[in-house]
Amino acid sequence: MLKYLLQKEFLQIRRNAFLPRLILLFPIVMMCVIPWVMNQEVKNIRVCVVDNDRSTTSQQLVHRIEASNYFMFTGRQPTYAEALHAIETSRADIVLVVPRGYGKGRSQVLIAANAVNGTKGSIGANYLSQMMAPSTQTSAATAPSIHTLYNPGQDYKVFMIPALFAILTMLMCGFLPTLNIVGEKEAGTIEQMNVTPVPKWAFILAKLIPYWLIALFVITACLVLSWAVYGITCQGPLALVYLLALLLALFFSSLGLIISNYSSTMQQAIFVMWFFVVCMMLLSGLFTPTRSMPSWAYLTTYVNPMYYFIDAIRTVFVRGGGFAAIAHQVLALVGIGSIMAVWAVVSYKKNN
Amino acid sequence: MNAIEVNGVSKCYGQVKALNGVSFSVAPGEVFGLIGPDGAGKTTMFRILCSLLLPDAGTASVDGFDVVREMKQVRRRVGYMPGRFSLYQDLTVAENLKFFATLFGTTVEAGYDSIRAIYSQIEPFSNRRAGALSGGMKQKLALSCALVHQPSVLFLDEPTTGVDPVSRKELWDMLGMLRERGITIVASTPYLDEVRRCDRVAFLQEGRVQCIDTAERVLERYWQPSHNSPITHRLTTNSRLTPQPPPFQGGGEGYATECIQASEVTVPLLEREGDTRRAGGESERAVGAEFGGESERAVGDEFGAESVPVISVSHLVKAFGSFRAVDDISFEVRRGEIFGFLGANGAGKTTAMHMLTGLNQPTSGTGTVVGFDICTEHEQIKRHIGYMSQKFALYEDLTVAENIRLFAGIYGMDDKEIAHKTDVLLKRLHFEDHKHALVRSLPLGWKQKLAFSVAIFHEPGVVFLDEPTGGVDPDTRRQFWELIYDAAARGITVFVTTHYMDEAEYCNRISIMVDGKIKAIGTPDELKQQFRQPDMDHVFTYLARQAKRGMRAHNPAIGMAGYQCLIPNGIGTNINNITTQP
Amino acid sequence: MSKVSEGLTHSAPSLVGRAGGESLGGESLGGESLRGESLGKKSRGRVPFPSPFWAFVQKEARHILRDRRTMLILFGMPVVLMLLFGFAITNDVKNVRTVIVTSRLTPQTQAALQRLAASEYFTIVATVPTPQEAEQLIRRQKADLYLTPYPKGQGSGWHITVDGADPNMAQQWATYAQAIIGRSGLTSNSPLVLTPSLKLLYNPQMRSAYNFVPAIMGMLLMLVCAMMTSISIVREKERGTMEVLLVSPVRPLMVIVAKAIPYLVLAFAVLIIILLMGHYVLAVPLAGSLVWIVLVSVIYILLALSLGLLISNIAQTQLVALLLSAMVLLLPVVMLSGMLFPIESMPRVLQWISAIMPPRYYIEAMRKLMIMGVGIQAVLREVLVLCAMTVVLLTVALVKFKVRLD
Repeated sequence: MLKYLLQKEFLQIRRNAFLPRLILLFPIVMMCVIPWVMNQEVKNIRVCVVDNDRSTTSQQLVHRIEASNYFMFTGRQPTYAEALHAIETSRADIVLVVPRGYGKGRSQVLIAANAVNGTKGSIGANYLSQMMAPSTQTSAATAPSIHTLYNPGQDYKVFMIPALFAILTMLMCGFLPTLNIVGEKEAGTIEQMNVTPVPKWAFILAKLIPYWLIALFVITACLVLSWAVYGITCQGPLALVYLLALLLALFFSSLGLIISNYSSTMQQAIFVMWFFVVCMMLLSGLFTPTRSMPSWAYLTTYVNPMYYFIDAIRTVFVRGGGFAAIAHQVLALVGIGSIMAVWAVVSYKKNN
Repeated sequence: MNAIEVNGVSKCYGQVKALNGVSFSVAPGEVFGLIGPDGAGKTTMFRILCSLLLPDAGTASVDGFDVVREMKQVRRRVGYMPGRFSLYQDLTVAENLKFFATLFGTTVEAGYDSIRAIYSQIEPFSNRRAGALSGGMKQKLALSCALVHQPSVLFLDEPTTGVDPVSRKELWDMLGMLRERGITIVASTPYLDEVRRCDRVAFLQEGRVQCIDTAERVLERYWQPSHNSPITHRLTTNSRLTPQPPPFQGGGEGYATECIQASEVTVPLLEREGDTRRAGGESERAVGAEFGGESERAVGDEFGAESVPVISVSHLVKAFGSFRAVDDISFEVRRGEIFGFLGANGAGKTTAMHMLTGLNQPTSGTGTVVGFDICTEHEQIKRHIGYMSQKFALYEDLTVAENIRLFAGIYGMDDKEIAHKTDVLLKRLHFEDHKHALVRSLPLGWKQKLAFSVAIFHEPGVVFLDEPTGGVDPDTRRQFWELIYDAAARGITVFVTTHYMDEAEYCNRISIMVDGKIKAIGTPDELKQQFRQPDMDHVFTYLARQAKRGMRAHNPAIGMAGYQCLIPNGIGTNINNITTQP
Repeated sequence: MSKVSEGLTHSAPSLVGRAGGESLGGESLGGESLRGESLGKKSRGRVPFPSPFWAFVQKEARHILRDRRTMLILFGMPVVLMLLFGFAITNDVKNVRTVIVTSRLTPQTQAALQRLAASEYFTIVATVPTPQEAEQLIRRQKADLYLTPYPKGQGSGWHITVDGADPNMAQQWATYAQAIIGRSGLTSNSPLVLTPSLKLLYNPQMRSAYNFVPAIMGMLLMLVCAMMTSISIVREKERGTMEVLLVSPVRPLMVIVAKAIPYLVLAFAVLIIILLMGHYVLAVPLAGSLVWIVLVSVIYILLALSLGLLISNIAQTQLVALLLSAMVLLLPVVMLSGMLFPIESMPRVLQWISAIMPPRYYIEAMRKLMIMGVGIQAVLREVLVLCAMTVVLLTVALVKFKVRLD
């Protein structure tokens, strides 16, 4: 019986004018574009100099800024006020004021950074101030040496690509099933299904399986693209990546079905889904470390499957951990996933 | 100047010619009917006249304004109710009506008179959301919304689909009133009695106007002859295809005897009715020829002796809050019977059917279907029944064969059996060429025949049909009923709701529901005798007028006007007494 | 005809009244209430605006108000987002799980460890004998960095080995650890140098709220206007009510404008919630002129509405409209508009693409107006771009808007 239901689901996805294209193209486009975008590196900070000294030393300073990767020299301004104006009109991010007498070592420069984006402002200012005082680092003998594991090149993409796996699985397996049942409700075909002897689990399973396969496709596309485009490969066993993706797909597709079981319109379903997704994503450690969160927010990670997934996939993909390293997360995902799947079956009512 | 002038209008959708050189004109104040089978191009014609579509060739003008160049003027003058008119589900009845009234620059108050007959029936529910109304009530509200303003030209695309006979008559009375005021009306309808109320009728077929004349002449010249032949043709093919049924054995089976009685009584009656019942008579004869069949089918064996009813219900109640949609009904349906479950819109038919099919739990009362309890064993029931819902029941984005395969698979047939039976079925329906066509692309009548065939594909004990022929043209309806008789002959009990009273006459037994209660039950003949009415139409009208839910009491003058003569005096006064009592 | 209807108006109430009187009390209520409503409507009809227009606005408002869940999400979303971004989502270095690899501690290293443990940044979770075991702990996500003392004879000091999965955080952890451990060593031999003085403009405490409040405004206004408008129009197409609306005497343009108004109001409500929450709960300044903040927002809302209208022209079903606005519109907007990720760090091609993202200019303008408190002349470029985009999109949307079916 499941076979026939599955066939129907696949045919319906295939017949849709829009879905196949979306399923095929969306992950590919996302994989090719987003890793470039998801980049917290601070680069190309525009520096504008107010040179009151006009000495060779200050000239050298400007040359150093021009030569740096981080900074872009955008010109000199005669006064501090005009330099501020440059910040206000987004022509500069940082103003460097070189006071009179700098060349003679009598005074130090002033760095004024636009800190509306706090991270960018402070990091930029710090870089610049380090550059101003290159000689202070001479005492390296006693300073601890730093060794970076797993990501020696400090490539932000290595960090973000596993996150992208999560985002794509979530979007494809979360939103599409949500729309599915509500769609059948709005079309009225669900009533016909409800009068047939189809067991609830079979109906739900037939709805879920296609999205699991889509999840597998998405993950495969992601893995291939991350290797082909970025040269980043999975450090741990690939099977684990698939296992994790399937578990996350189980959770999100079940969540989608639960929401659509309780919703009457597509708009409602999608908004509720969106709400959950955004909250889960923000609290999962996808972008920011969960350990920095206040304790109330940190508590929510215990029930957040995204958190477990992100943790586990980074362990496998980046750190090359094996099953033992992620057993805890896998267990949590299995637990939450199966609760949601059961809920999805129970909340689907064939009989009122 | 003519109100509507159409000259050589053509319209193509891709390869399909929806309209092909259509020309006609309608005089001001005329009621003009557009009739024809599904896919004849009626809706396209309406849309062109409303300036919603551009014709590929030809010109059309409404009230002297060209539909292409003077769109604004046209839209200011026309009223339009599309075939799939849908209301705002999340607005209440009153809000819907008010919105449409204001939209057309009038108020509910000003337009109230022209909608009273229909709107008063849904007025008690004016604070209910439109989405919570029953199908027929929605249609009535949609009609009220379309009629609340008084345009100079009114286009109605199958306005009465799913509306009960009494309300249909009331609607046409209202249209008559509008006509008196000089409003030009163009309407399409699958009901022959409604066709007869048009001044003139254009018969469209395959995008061409076959004939424009008075209703009688069109029906005589075009409708009947062209539709008689396929029937006879189909009958012969049928008998060739299916193994010749064994000669009918009179004894032993109660239902069969009843069937015989029913057809014996009905046929003469139909003939007496003459024109109005001709369509029915045609089919009746067809049925007569086809009748009989393998009554000893396996279905019956599952639940023992014939005397055990297939459906048995006692004191069934379904309440939504304080509203009792189904109010203490009890009845039995025997094996192989065709049981007509009639009632006005909102009388509780669909709710009752939902309880029988296990979609809904009854509030109280008990019942069994194919031997299983409807409260506790609904999943077992579902294995032994077929169901065709009011909304269209097949997946539009699957092909014919895929739909059959899906539903057959659900009932546990294997691939080989499905493939074989699919071929047989498609051959019988003459659908072989459309096996791989998307259901979406089929005309409505075909879809309905297919949906029915799918519903009985697994040879269920009972098949429940909820208004299966709504909006289907008379010819296809007749074919549909042939399928029903085929099924009944194979021992499948048929439980059907309908608003076509000619169809009611085809049933072995019928019940009529009013306000959630069963007011009458018996063979059509018994009911006619019991209520001293000439035909089912009048029986229904008589009973449905007692409804309190619909507030018919508010407008006895209008509602009864056309029928007073038909009802014996005593009963007439009786009705007034009943209905005006608080 | 008007004469006829006049006569009808006259007779109708009396008929209804009589009928109501005769029937059941409950039933008459329905009739009465309807009549009352329509009378009320009539008196209200004297406002200078065409009344079908207001009927439309009312209807649309009812659609929105009836869908409680969507409303809840719409108003809950800004609040939750603000709270999350304001309090939960931080890049602060905190509770970094540290492992010490040691067999023997010298008093000097002991002191360093104590400083480390005393700081709020690091928590020492374990002490293991070998670096291999420490690495295992990191791999299993039980620790973030480990410290190894220099082997005997190479002086006293530490190797810091840090989990580089998140490069930015890794760098920060290492820097912090370096600073804490190395502090004592530095003070002994570093010459007094003049350090550059740092000045963080506009946001001296480096609060991330300053950065994301404008971003949330850009995202939510886009969501409310573009997504909801497009869905509501496509829904009417799908259900068949659009046909009737088109045939009605109301001009198609009016249909669209009337549809947009409730969403405009809704967007405003969302805007006000965000501004209030931002100002009073997250203490984000409203440095610039409120008038300009609102005006620029209006332009942006109009732009988003035109986008929604455009989507509704393309999409035939709600599903497509939803997916178009959710995945094809919203996602790029979030990703490429500088909302979360700095545009300057993107490859050149993506920077070009981001140049056509309307929220980029809106967010930029809002950051300047709200946080930096500059005058309108400083955001003139952004405002002009937004205006131009609005005009273009609105024109395209209106030109493409179909007054007929196809």
